Amino acid sequence: MEKREESASGFRKETVNKILHLHFKDDKTRVSSDALLLMAEMLNVFVREAAARSARQAQAEDLDRVDIEHVEKVLPQLVCKV
Amino acid sequence: MEPLGEQERERLLHTQRLKAAVHYTVGCLCQEVAEDKGIQFSKQTIAAISEITFRQCENFAKDLEMFARHGKRTVINSEDVKLLARRSNSLLRYITQKSEELALNNLEQKERKKKKSSAAKGRTTSDEQVEAVMAESEDSNMA
Repeated sequence: MEKREESASGFRKETVNKILHLHFKDDKTRVSSDALLLMAEMLNVFVREAAARSARQAQAEDLDRVDIEHVEKVLPQLVCKV
Repeated sequence: MEPLGEQERERLLHTQRLKAAVHYTVGCLCQEVAEDKGIQFSKQTIAAISEITFRQCENFAKDLEMFARHGKRTVINSEDVKLLARRSNSLLRYITQKSEELALNNLEQKERKKKKSSAAKGRTTSDEQVEAVMAESEDSNMA
């Protein structure tokens, strides 16, 4: 049995594998098990960063609720640095 | 408008199921951040982050495929993922660290399998003891 990730939340290997395969141009392309785990981590980080930065933006505007416009403001930096 | 062909319909359903899986995971992760920061995320925000993440995966997938092809491989490996993370120093460090943890884990698993298989082959106890000692010294060298 594979060891489960410590945190309950986060992307699952199988999901990540299927999503990546959606966009591969070559049928023969595969992803190693380790690479899948690392990609799951990357996506976890990506989402957490998006959420944290949007939250900080909302807090900077003295709000207690994060809305789409806060995500829009942090989006360019988030996507460019990844 | 032409009705979707069977294959196209399948692909659309498949994509929708994946998007739903992403949405669920994004929701969980945002919930953690929300509790951490003492703030609330609107539903639209979760949906937006989910959509952005899904789209970002297309770029990731294409880049990874290209990196592997550049290395004349069909299997994407950890090095390709590290290359993907190169733009942010902290991200690269984090991914590199995780990669090393995985490599260590794999090594430990191999050692365990070796011990098991040698026991299954029915070797004498003295042989097993020698192997165990050798494995331990290898581990201490790893530091």
